[in-house]
Parts: sequence; structure tokens; C-alpha cells
Amino acid sequence: MGQFVTEIRPGGAIAVDDTIQVKGYETKAGSRILEGFQPLFGAEAVERLEKAGYEIAGKTAVGEFGLDLLGEFSHSGATLGASGGLRGAAAELAAAGTVKGALCADLNGAPRRAAALSGVGFVKPTYGTVSRYGLIPCACSGEQIGVMAKSAGDMRGLLEAVAGHDPKDGTSLPTESYDYADGKAVSEMRVGVVKELTDAASDGARAKVQAQADALRGLGVAVGEVSLPLADAARTAWNILLCAETCNNLSRYDGVKFGYRSPDYRNIDELYVNSRTEGFNFLTKAVILYGSDVLSKGRYFACYDKALKVRRLVWEQSKALFENYDALLCPACGKTEYQPYDIKEAFGAVFAESFYTAIPNLTGFPSVVCGGVQLIGDALQDGRLLNLAEALEGGAAK
Amino acid sequence: MMTAEGLSALEALNELRLTPDEKMETLSIFRRMESYEAALQEIPTDNVEVMVHVMPLANVLRDDVQAQPFTRESLLEGAPEHTEDSWQVPRLVK
Amino acid sequence: MRYEAVIGLETHVELATKSKIFCSCGGHSAKGEPNTRVCPACAGMPGMLPVTNKRVVELAMRAGLLLNCQISRYTTFDKKSYYYPDLPCSYQITQWFHPICREGSVEVTTKDGARTIGIKQIHMEEDAGKLVHDDWTETTLVDFNRTSVPLIEIVSKPDFRTADEVMAYLEKLKTMFRFANISECEEGAMRCDVNISIRPEGSEELGVRTEIKNMSSLSSIRRAIQYETARHLDAVERGTETLVQETRRWDDVKGRTFSMRNKETAADYRYFPDPNLMPILIGDDWLRRVKDEMPASVEEKTAEYQSKGLSAKEIASLTAERVLCDLFDALISSGREPKEAASWILTECGGILRKHGQVMGELDIAPEKLSRIMEKVSGNEINRAAGRKVLEAVLYEGADPDEYCEAHDLSAQGDADAVRQVVLKVLDNTPAAVRDYLGGKKKAFQALFGGCMKELKGNGDPQVIRALLEEELAKRS
Repeated sequence: MGQFVTEIRPGGAIAVDDTIQVKGYETKAGSRILEGFQPLFGAEAVERLEKAGYEIAGKTAVGEFGLDLLGEFSHSGATLGASGGLRGAAAELAAAGTVKGALCADLNGAPRRAAALSGVGFVKPTYGTVSRYGLIPCACSGEQIGVMAKSAGDMRGLLEAVAGHDPKDGTSLPTESYDYADGKAVSEMRVGVVKELTDAASDGARAKVQAQADALRGLGVAVGEVSLPLADAARTAWNILLCAETCNNLSRYDGVKFGYRSPDYRNIDELYVNSRTEGFNFLTKAVILYGSDVLSKGRYFACYDKALKVRRLVWEQSKALFENYDALLCPACGKTEYQPYDIKEAFGAVFAESFYTAIPNLTGFPSVVCGGVQLIGDALQDGRLLNLAEALEGGAAK
Repeated sequence: MMTAEGLSALEALNELRLTPDEKMETLSIFRRMESYEAALQEIPTDNVEVMVHVMPLANVLRDDVQAQPFTRESLLEGAPEHTEDSWQVPRLVK
Repeated sequence: MRYEAVIGLETHVELATKSKIFCSCGGHSAKGEPNTRVCPACAGMPGMLPVTNKRVVELAMRAGLLLNCQISRYTTFDKKSYYYPDLPCSYQITQWFHPICREGSVEVTTKDGARTIGIKQIHMEEDAGKLVHDDWTETTLVDFNRTSVPLIEIVSKPDFRTADEVMAYLEKLKTMFRFANISECEEGAMRCDVNISIRPEGSEELGVRTEIKNMSSLSSIRRAIQYETARHLDAVERGTETLVQETRRWDDVKGRTFSMRNKETAADYRYFPDPNLMPILIGDDWLRRVKDEMPASVEEKTAEYQSKGLSAKEIASLTAERVLCDLFDALISSGREPKEAASWILTECGGILRKHGQVMGELDIAPEKLSRIMEKVSGNEINRAAGRKVLEAVLYEGADPDEYCEAHDLSAQGDADAVRQVVLKVLDNTPAAVRDYLGGKKKAFQALFGGCMKELKGNGDPQVIRALLEEELAKRS
């Protein structure tokens, strides 16, 4: 089982996480329910990487359907690294230089947290710029395939290789390809430190934000403090949408067509219930049940519909800040390290940490993690965020 | 407020079964989420349109062209149980 | 007290498209071996994303226009969740919040006169697969060919009072949809859920409503409505049972409805907007184009054919099937004469189809081929009997008219010169008969004529032969 994720093809360059289909590789999205699933086609992002001349190194473990904090509850097998899966498999490989980079799905911030903890970079691109064709779907309205790499330059190169219009994805923006070289000089940029997100973080995480804010000032960036009063509502809204959409998308796994089927059944109901009960872990079950409830007849308008309206308000509130700021600066996670914990606490733990990561998923805005912090930009300003990341790298090197 | 009976109905609706321990844990998850939902209710959203899609695309349509690139054999290959031409499940009551 | 039935219909109609609604698999559910029109998407596998078939949207608009609906300017897709083995994703993409058409009406005529039936809405959705129960292995086999085949669901208002009205409505939809190329409406491509309650005549209050699900044959629908109405009457008037609001099924063998006591009735479908499908905006230009492209209605075609001098009977036969009108129109535009064209389609093609046990609606011939055959006959290249022969070969062997005539030596027999050669040969070879004829025995003509027909293997045009014989005999008198 461990071989499945840790095997790296010699000379390989790019790792792909287990929620993204690669032809010829069993794809389980970290879940027993997909045991033995051989995808019949590869993800568009993977095909584009290969077309651009990159080699696929292998697949990296994710937590079941990418729903946990950092990949700690995975059926893909043990993640690489000494930290017991609490750093994220792809991030560890990238940090160690085993791979040049990785493609990772960002559903609820896991690769951003992993990158921040491992000191590598990750870009969750603007929604609709990277095709989701071939991604095992959970929350289609906000998940995106992103790019992990040590340097901003590598992130830019990889992102340019994978981004662009794909007619097979109905939410793909019409732009054929993207140039992530942004013309705006860093010294002319304004960055706002988000008060609500920074104040809530641990001392260590807050210190990182302060240090990077200082570094930006040193580069001539105008850094101020901004407020996003809806930050907390954004987290609730995104988790409602995520659970509901995931509940719906995971309903296809029923032991009938592919993947895991319980050996223990006498009729179709037992086949369904036993396959799904044995195939999903408790975190996934909790996500499904809560997601089902927010869509139920009596609760839809109070929960799901409300979350869709709050999404618009958060989008507008962020958009207003982008009138004056090129990027928002905040932590990518509330802590600088995590202790192992029981899966029964996972739902609450992920909900707590998604406070820092929910806005880009909820609104589709791009986010770049670098130097242990997060920069969030206006739609399609991924290049500008990468400019800032590059400047910070240079600043740190000095 | 989610009750034990409500949770059992949800399990049935989603073809899942929780252990007694997991039921307790799930009820407390619902309890916590209900307090966050209450905070969400405080936000005025009268006259706010829902935002299903974050990017303003419309009329993403394809032409009516048929293509059949996948074979039946390849589709059935990974099935837990199948015949030569079909997926197979325990007999359903008519 | 007199009671009346209050009946509403939900009619699912399979659209005539080449591909499915959200993927490119073949769209026609009735064709193909099990699971040959399937891809990872319609087998419920993860990773593929739905992209809407434009033709589906346009055919739904077309149906809305025919049923006098308001066409929505903003329409979206939603997901409906439930578990059943014929639904591979355990959700169905349908339209819940913003259906494509609303508020229409259609007039139905029965022996009691004409009534207007209101249409509440029309929405687009994907079909489910098919299950085959195998008694030998005690298993159920799942076929996803029909999964994701496009449907429109037409939801009527509860405006029907009798089974006759329901029949008239369904027959009218069938004719309209076939004629406008919206659906082929063949067996199984039109399925109904029927809602029934009864109330005292003149009352506005509705009684307990039951729904009979998923019937596809008109006779079943009629019988089910009659049975269910009688059951409600018995319950209300004679207290035979207590009616409950529920979903029932029709048992065609036993001739009665029965309750579906399962969890389906308690289902919560948890509809929500599909994040993968962007809204569809229907602007004036698009709507106008769909209107312009709408095939002429039966009424319009009737008027057009009257002006071309066709008889009422011919018009009725042609307008019974869209394919016949299309063929007729193509023949006219390639210069064929209307009466002739109608006769070739209805008499000649019709006769051959009947001989092969087929009906007119199944006629499938390239207009240029039929036109070519007609041209050959009217130009005396071949006679009508030979033309029929060619036509049959074109219909059932896929023959080319010119090549067929060439290969079977048919062209020559209509050709006057070739026939004249045959006539001369017969006259030369049977001098006795010639002498008899010239000597006044008119009966001898039949022998000479028969000789010619024999030489021509029965393919000669009798009129031409007769004329040539008379001409050549006159020369020898």
C-alpha cells in the first residue's frame, strides 16, 4: 500500500496528488471506496504538463477525498516524511527536492497549509483557469487544481503549462492560455494585512505574517491593515457548500459500478449501506451527513441558499478591498505545527483551520502561499501574486 | 436541531450506518455547526442574489455530435460484478 | 352527488438528438447492445464534467413555442439526489429552480368538444438507465445506454376531467413533436406520471391525490385512469377504503393500480443548483432563430400542399409523417411535379414498404435517388414497372438507380430504339403472324405483342410496344 504513493519514477519531475487522475495509476483519492479504480483517462492538467515536456514522477497520498487537514487520514497509504503525515506528502517531496513540483487539488486549503508548514510555495489559481477535467470531484464550485513548487518561478512555469481553456470543463474560462508575468513593479503595489485572520492565529503564525509584512515594506511595498468582517461567515458558508456538494458527488460511490464493494450483503440496500459504511472514514461520513442535512427540504433556504448569498457578500467585500490593494496578506494556517489527533476530532479541526483558507475557495480568487504566509488577490491576478512571492524570495535570500 | 432520530433518517437517506460512538460525535458536530449557522442568519441578505458560480460565464454549450471513444469492456473491467455486457446487482424486488 | 375527476400529467419525452444531454455518447435510447452507448460519465465514474448539448436546449425551446409557453430568459440546471441502480451518479441533473418554459396551453378536442389544457412548465433533464431482472441468476443487470439521454418533462396543470381528454392531449403532443422533429415519440420514448383526485362537480376543493408513475402505452394510461378514478369514487361514495396521498404503479396484467410502499415516497431529493453547469441566457436573437428554424406545422403544410393541387387524401397521408413532407418538399425543389411526387411517395414507396411489413413513417430514401427514378420514368428511359423495381432495390439493397438500370439492362427496355429493334426482330421471325394480321386477322396482333413482351422479359412498356408494332406493321402493308 505504501508503495502506491511513495514510489517515485526515476528521473521524474512532477508529483500528482491522488485526487487527480493519471492514466496507468490506480486513483483512490485516499479512499477505500475507490480501491482498484483505474481511471480510463488522465486529468487535463496532467496531459498538459506532459505535453509541455514535464515528466510525471508518481502519485502522492491525500487524506480521504482531500477532506482532512494535511493528509493524515488517508487510505492511499502512509505519507512520506518523518512528521507522520502532518506536513502533506506532496509538500514534503517538494521541500526535499525529490520532485520539482506537484499538482494538488485545493478543496479546503490542505495544500496551502502543507506548503506553509514545509516552507514551499503553492498557488491555488483563479477559479476556471485550470481545468478540473479528471479531478475526483467534491465541491465543484470552489475546488481547483493548483501547483506546488519551491520557487515562484517554478510555480509560474508549471501554472502556465496547465492553465488555459478546456472545452471538457463547462466552467473553464475562454482564455486559451495565460501569461503570468505581471508588469506591475512590486514597489508600486499595495498589500493589506487582514486583521481578522491574522489576529486569530497563533503567535508563531502571526509572527510569520509580521515578518513578511516587514519584508514587503523593505521592498517598497505599501503595507497597511485591512478588515474583512465577513471572514468568519465566509468559513461557515464555504463549509456548508463544501459538505453539500461533496455529499452529492460522493453519492456515486455505491459498490455497484467500480471500486470497493462490501463482501457482506444479501440485497441492494445492504450492498449500498455496507459498501459505503466500510468504504468511507468517519470524517467523510460526517461531511456527507451534514451536507445532506443543509440541502434537506426544511433547511435548504436557511443553510444552503443563505451560504450562496453570503458567498456574494464575501466576494463583494473582498472585491472592494482589491480596489485599493493588489493583495491581501494573512496566515495560510493558524499554527506552525500540528500534533496527531483522533479522526473524531477531524471535522472540527478542519473547520477551525479553514478559517484561514476558505475565502479563495468560496470566491474563486487566487491565492499564493510563500514564505509560510498566504497572499490573496483579485480574480486573474495570479501573476501579480507570484511577482510578490518572487520578490519575497529574493528579499529573504539577501 | 438535529436529533438522534433525525440523524438515523439522514443515515438511511445517504446509505450509511454510524456506530453508537460515531452517532454521538456526529450529533456534537451538528450542534457546533448549528451555532455557526445561527451567526450566518445574523447577516442581512435581503435582496442579495445567490452566487452559484464565481465567474460570470453563461451559455457554455456543445454541438450535438456523437462520439464513442470508450469501449464497453474497458468500462466494465473495474466492476465488482458484471456479465459480458452489463453491471450486475442483487435482484431488485419488482 | 355527481363527481368529477381532476387529472394532471407529467409527460417525459425523449428528444431526437444525435448525442446525450451532457456527454457525447449516442443519444437514441432504443438503439444498440447494452452498455455500448456509455462513457465514464454515464457509468457514474468520477472526473468527467457535464457540458450541455445545445440541440437539447433548442428542442426544448421549440416544444415551448409549440405549447404557447413563455420561454425563460434565464434557465439553469439543478441536481436531484436519490439512490437506485439505474441512476449511476445517484443524482439526476434536472431543472428545479429555473425551468426553460413556463405557463403555456394546448387545445385538445374530444367528442365532447374542445378544451384548453394549461401547461405549468417544461424542463430539461437526463434519463435514467434500464434494469433487466434475470430470474436465472437472481440478479439484476444494469444497462446505462439510456442514462443521460435528453428528456423534456411537460408538466400540465390539473385541467383534465376525462381519460378521453388525456388521450387526445397525448396524441396531439405526439403528432406535434414528431412533426417538429423534437422527438421520434416511438414506443417508450414518451412516458407519463398521472395525478388523479376526484371532487364533487362544481367544487373548487381538491380531494386526496394519488400519482400513478411511469406508464408508456396509451392504452395502459387510459385503463389506469379509468381504474383509479373508479377506485377513488368507490372510496368516497361507498367507503371501500381510505384514500391516502401516495405513489402507485399500474399493473397491466391484473388491470389495477397498486401502492409502492417503499422509501421512495419518503425521499428528500435535496435539489440544489449544479455548480458545473453555467446558466443559459436566452436572448431575442437566439429565440428568433429557433422560431425561424421551426419546421412548418401540419396546418401550414396542409395549406401549402393544397395550393400545389394535391388531394385532401394525399395531404392527410403526407402530413401524417414529417419524413414524408421532407421527402416531398425535396422532390419538388429538385423539379419533380407535385402530383407525381405524391404518387411516387404514397403509392409506389408505400406499396413496397407494405410488402416488406413496414409503415410509411419508416420510409428512408435519399430524395435525389427517388428524384432520379422519377426522372427516368417520366423521360421514358424506363417504364413505371421498371421504376418500381429500381425503387425496391434502392430501398432494400441501397442500390444506385443509374447503376442498377445499367446492371439489369433496364435502361434499354424503355428506350424506343431498342424496343423497335425487338419489334423488327419479332416481325422478321414470325412472318406467318404478320401475314395473318395484314390479311385482316386482328387477333394475330396479340401473338406479335406477346412475342415482343417475351423478348423484353416483361419489362417493356405495353403502350410503347403497341405503338411501334402498329407503326412497323403499317410499313409492311
